[in-house]
Amino acid sequence: MSNTQASERVALKARKVSFSWEETPLHWVPGDPFTTHTINVLHLLLPAGERWFVHVYKQVLPYIRDDRLREDVIGFIGQEAMHSQAHDEVLPHLRELGLDPTPYTAQVDWFFEKLLGDRTLPPGRARRWWLMERVAIIAAIEHYTAFLGNWVLNAGELDRRGADPTMLDLLRWHGAEEVEHRSVAFDLFMHVDGSYRRRVRTWATAFAAIVFLWQRGARFFMENDPTLIDGKASFKDLYVRGRRGTLPTTGDMIKSIPRYLSHSYHPSQEGSTEQAVAYLASSPAAIAALAAEKGAA
Amino acid sequence: MPKLRTVVVVAGAAMLVRRAMRHRIQASPLWPIPALENPTSGRPRSRALRLLVASRETVADGVVQLRLEGRDLPRWEPGAHLDLVLPSGLVRQYSLCGDPEDTSSYTVATRLIEDGRGGSREVHEQVAEGMELEVRGPRNRFPLVDAPSYVFVVGGIGITPVLPMLRALPGGTPWRLVYGGRTRASMPFLEEIEKLGGDRVTVVAEDEDGLPDLDGLLADTAEGAAVYCCGPEGLIAAMEARFPQVRLERFTPHTSADGNGAFEVELRRSGRTLTVPADSTVLAAVRAELPNTAYSCEQGFCGTCQQRILEGEVEHRDELLTDAERADSMLICVSRARSERLVLDM
Repeated sequence: MSNTQASERVALKARKVSFSWEETPLHWVPGDPFTTHTINVLHLLLPAGERWFVHVYKQVLPYIRDDRLREDVIGFIGQEAMHSQAHDEVLPHLRELGLDPTPYTAQVDWFFEKLLGDRTLPPGRARRWWLMERVAIIAAIEHYTAFLGNWVLNAGELDRRGADPTMLDLLRWHGAEEVEHRSVAFDLFMHVDGSYRRRVRTWATAFAAIVFLWQRGARFFMENDPTLIDGKASFKDLYVRGRRGTLPTTGDMIKSIPRYLSHSYHPSQEGSTEQAVAYLASSPAAIAALAAEKGAA
Repeated sequence: MPKLRTVVVVAGAAMLVRRAMRHRIQASPLWPIPALENPTSGRPRSRALRLLVASRETVADGVVQLRLEGRDLPRWEPGAHLDLVLPSGLVRQYSLCGDPEDTSSYTVATRLIEDGRGGSREVHEQVAEGMELEVRGPRNRFPLVDAPSYVFVVGGIGITPVLPMLRALPGGTPWRLVYGGRTRASMPFLEEIEKLGGDRVTVVAEDEDGLPDLDGLLADTAEGAAVYCCGPEGLIAAMEARFPQVRLERFTPHTSADGNGAFEVELRRSGRTLTVPADSTVLAAVRAELPNTAYSCEQGFCGTCQQRILEGEVEHRDELLTDAERADSMLICVSRARSERLVLDM
């Protein structure tokens, strides 16, 4: 079957990165609050979301009967845990800049910890079904994180517009690791369940949730930005930024949908591991993490 | 492919729903998702801070005091220490000896130990004004408890955690301090302490008076007094022999049960007990018994292997957990037992 093929294999490991945010301005894409805040929504969704990935994957470990996959999942868990922490650290900085994200993140926390938590369904068969459902939801979300990771690695327009280098490094380090581990979630789903109906169903759930939460987050930021009078976010803004190259194009976003639903889909067909690994070899944060690790050893 | 009619029906329905919801959302933008009462995201962590070495001065023979500046630093209680990440990556603990209310700087003092483990030498030789240092904490393993009276016995640089305690004790509280050192010139903060304590302070300089006569000096220690000792291993052993209840702070980790040796771990939920050898980790031992235990980075930063502690004292070696989390959990990939035995909820 073509959708279980092995991709170029890299050993996955968590990199201990750290970023300092003191210098990052509120509108870190200069003069473009909409792009800034649309990307900032990542900081609202990912801390709770990736913590939830880790939480779910810890429970699925006993179902894995393939040692290589288990190793990959363990590496994946560590990388996701670091992503969650790294984005979490941006939130206090936003608060200092006068844009308190707590009303929104408290809802995202509820969403992942309660609504998508362990106790949503009663124990027994229902709960096992729920675990598999969540594993499939993660696979669908990872299709989009790999899509975005691949996009940000190639988003030269952000550099040309003078976007903040620390923020770009966070996004590209994260994006590169997402590309690097893009096959794990899907391979895991195929290994423990793999039903096509479930893939389609959970894709629909995940896609709807992402669109809903993202547009809501962008609106939230635009409306609460202390420097904007009557800040608004609209689909037209998104389309225009896509044309400009500071956000993914609408066409690319639409085209990514049938790819995931295709019977022959495998994440290794998306993005390039070489490019991701090359970025990780040059990312200031990843280099610092490597140096610290060597220094400590 | 889905039929055109299906697409039209779904799109139409979505538009109707959107219309109906728009009005409601305009009235209260965060409707309809409930919020978690204690949000987890964006909570400030007591993680690594980068502080500027604002001043470096010699406060006694062989003792250097550093003032590290930052913004909105966490407050601390007397007795607390800071983890300093030295330029080489070595991590060393130093007691805070400044003002706990000061949120713009931390003060630590360190003595050069010629044959030490290298940390103090690095502070003395390589840390200069204007540098940035990474610190973690503050954490308190040597807290000032409520007691009717206090006795402090310190040797040399062991004065650093005690000094903020002396300053913090309410006036009128009876206390005594026995402060030993090699020479008066090598004892930091002597002037301030003598002014603060007057005749409650006994200074014993080895070159003038020999070693302190603990039995004589402490003979009249009141029942119920809190006894604190911070100093070299010899002094600590002498105090432990006299006062079993003494509260201790060591310069170097205690070598018998500081987590470097072997210890026992009971996994209560699975009903197993295992031994963690000196050269292995709790995680490795647990994985031998429970192969599906989650872990990832194995270096104490990702947090995947966090487990709840039911009993026992832990030497935390991770870089992630907050003080509150450390009270009842540990990262089993790097942290070890301080006690002979740990009980984990797994």
